[in-house]
Amino acid sequence: MVKRSKKAKTMRKIIKAIWIFNWFNSCGFIELVPLVGSRWDMERFGMIIVGTPRHADVLFIAGYQTLKSIKRAQRVYEQMAEPRVVIALGSCTMTGGMYWDSYNTIKRLEDYLPVNLYIPGCPPRPEAVFEACEKIFQHVKELQ
Amino acid sequence: MIDEIEPAPKDSDYDFYFGPAHPGSGNFGVKLKIDGERVVSARADPGYLHRGFEKLMEYRTPIQNAVLSDRLCVLEPLNWNLVHAEAVDELMGIDVPERAKYIRVIMAELSRIQSHIIWYGVFSIGTGFDTGFKMAFGYRDYILDLFELITGGRVYPAGYICPGGVRRDFPNGARDKILKVLDKMDEMIKLEELENPALDVRAKGVGILKVKDAIRLGATGPVLRGSGMKTDVRKDEPYEIYDRLDFEVPVRNEGDAYARYWIGIEEMKQSIKIVKQALEDLPDGEVTVPEFKRPKVKVKMPQGEVYIRNEVARGEAAVYMVSDEGSEPYRCKIRGPDFLHMIPVLECLLKGAQIADVPAIYWSLNICPADMDR
Amino acid sequence: MVTKETELLDEIKSEFKVDGRVQRKQRIWVSTDKNKLIEMCNWLKDHGFVHLSAVSVTDWLEDGKYELTYHLWSYDDKILITVKTKIDREKPTISSVMPIWEESAQIHERELHELFGVKFKGNSDLVPLFLEDWGGPPPFRKDFDWRNYVREEYYSKENEREKVYYD
Repeated sequence: MVKRSKKAKTMRKIIKAIWIFNWFNSCGFIELVPLVGSRWDMERFGMIIVGTPRHADVLFIAGYQTLKSIKRAQRVYEQMAEPRVVIALGSCTMTGGMYWDSYNTIKRLEDYLPVNLYIPGCPPRPEAVFEACEKIFQHVKELQ
Repeated sequence: MIDEIEPAPKDSDYDFYFGPAHPGSGNFGVKLKIDGERVVSARADPGYLHRGFEKLMEYRTPIQNAVLSDRLCVLEPLNWNLVHAEAVDELMGIDVPERAKYIRVIMAELSRIQSHIIWYGVFSIGTGFDTGFKMAFGYRDYILDLFELITGGRVYPAGYICPGGVRRDFPNGARDKILKVLDKMDEMIKLEELENPALDVRAKGVGILKVKDAIRLGATGPVLRGSGMKTDVRKDEPYEIYDRLDFEVPVRNEGDAYARYWIGIEEMKQSIKIVKQALEDLPDGEVTVPEFKRPKVKVKMPQGEVYIRNEVARGEAAVYMVSDEGSEPYRCKIRGPDFLHMIPVLECLLKGAQIADVPAIYWSLNICPADMDR
Repeated sequence: MVTKETELLDEIKSEFKVDGRVQRKQRIWVSTDKNKLIEMCNWLKDHGFVHLSAVSVTDWLEDGKYELTYHLWSYDDKILITVKTKIDREKPTISSVMPIWEESAQIHERELHELFGVKFKGNSDLVPLFLEDWGGPPPFRKDFDWRNYVREEYYSKENEREKVYYD
C-alpha cells in the first residue's frame, strides 16, 4: 500500500473529470470548438463546458491576448476554486508569435498568469489538446 | 398584502453587461440598459482583439502579407486571402493564369460553405437547439480534411492564395474527393431543413430591419439581402471567373432573423452548384506566374493605388492599397463587413427588444469580432 | 470612347472644376480641395451614391499632410468613385460628413480619430473605440515605430528565446 499525503488523496478524489470554462478568445478557439462537436466528442471523457468560472477546473488561454482582455482573464482566474489549472495554447503565448511587433498584444503569458502547460502549434490540433488533458490525469496519479 | 403590486419607480433601469465571459456572446461586449424585460438602449464595446493589422502589413513584403492575411477573420481565412492577393495583383499588373483562377474560386466557395455551417451551428445554440450545433460541427470536419489535403493546414492555409496565382497545384485524386464531400454537404442540408417548431416562435418577427435603415446604417451581404435588396458583389462587379458561372442570389423581404437564417441555407446550395461547375470546366496549365515561381523575398511594387471589393461570407470586404515604389505597401486599409454590422446595426436592432430575444438577434447577424477590431 | 464613367467624370469636372481620371471599368478617382468637399458629397449623394464603403487616412510624412479618401458606391449605376483631399498633419481638422451619410460615417470617423488623431467638426461622439487607457501618441502615425517600442517595453536582450528579435 502506497502512503499518500492528504493533498494527493483529495486531488485523486476531485480530479476525475475536468470541467472547462467558456473563455473562447482569439484564434485558438476555432480548434477547441470541434472538441465539443460530434467528431472529437469530449463528453465521453467526462469533460464539459461550463458557463461560470466558479464551477470550472481548467482555463484555456487559446491564443494572443490584448491588454484589454488580459485584465478580464485575470479576474476570471481569481474566481476559480482550487485545484485549478491554466493551459496555454499556441505560439502567441510563448514569445509573441505572429504579432510580435504589435503594440497592443502581450508577449509572455507567464508574466500575467501562472501557466501549468504549454501546447505549441498555430493553432494546435484537437488531438494535441486531448494529450494535454491526459497529462493532467497522469500528474494527479503520480502525486505523492 | 400582495394584492397590490406597485410598478417600479421611474428611472430604475439597471445596467447589464453582455460581455466576453458570457457563454452566449463570443469575444465582444454589449452594454445594455434594461427596464423590466425590455432593452432600453445598447452600446457596443469592441477592442478585445485589436492587433493593428493595417500597420503590421506595412512592415512586411507582399508574400509575407499573404500569410498574415489568413488571420483577419479566423472563420473564413481563404476568402480574405483572396482579397489581399487580388489587390497586389492589380497593383503590380499581373495577369493570373486560367487554371489558378478556377482553383481560387473553388477554394473560396468551399470556405464560404464552411463558414455558413458555423453560422447555422451557433444560431441553433442561440435559439436553444444543441443538437444542431453538434451535428453542424461534425459535418464541417469533412471540409477541413479537404483543406488539409490541398493546402496543408486545417484552419490556416499558410497563404495558399498568394499574389501571382496559388502556391501549388491540386494533388492526385483531389477532384473525386471534392465531389464526395459535396454529396455529404447535400445530405447535411436536407437535415438542416427539417426545422423544429421552436424556431418559428423564436426567430420569426424578431429583429426586423427595413431596407432604408439597412442602407443608411451601412449593412451589406446577407443582412441587406434579408431586407429585400437584391445585390451581390459577385454579380455587380464580377472578379475572377464569376461572370462565366450560373448561380442565383437569394433574397427575402421580411428582414427578420428567420429571413437571414433562410438565406444562409440557400447560399450553401448555390455555392455547391458553383463548385460543381468550376470543377467540370477546370482547364490545364500552370498555376503561378513565372516571376513568382521561385519567390524572391524583395519584389518592387510600382507606384499607384487600388481599391478591390469582394464578397466574403459575411458581406462586402474591401482593401485599399497604396504603394510608393517600395518593397512593402505604403498603406493598406482593410474594410470588413462586421465593422458596420456590429456597431450601428446591432445598436439599432437591440433597442426595444425583449431580453430573451437578444441571442437570436445577435447570432442572426453572423458576426466575427476579429474582422471588426483587426 | 464614351462610357458611363467618362460621362459622369465630365459632368463632375464641369460642375466643380476639379481633376480626376477613370482608372478602369467602374473606378473613378477625383481630387478636390477641402472647402469644396461637403458640397461635392451632397451632389454625389443626390446622384445615387448612397453607400459609403470606407473612409481612410494616408500619412505622407515628407509632405507634412494627411490625405483623406472617401470611397462611395452607387447601387444603380454600379460605379465606385473615390474623393481625395489633403489636410495639414500637425493640426488635422475637417468637417464631418455625418449630415450626409449619418451612422455609417460616424463610426468610420470615430475610428480615425482614435488611430490618427483627426478632429471632425460636427461629430459629437468621438470617444475611444478600441483602446483602453492608452497614453501614447496616435498609434498609426508614421513617426511612431512599433518595432522600437516593442523592443523597449516588452522584450529583453538577456532572455535566450528573445535574442532573435534584436537583429
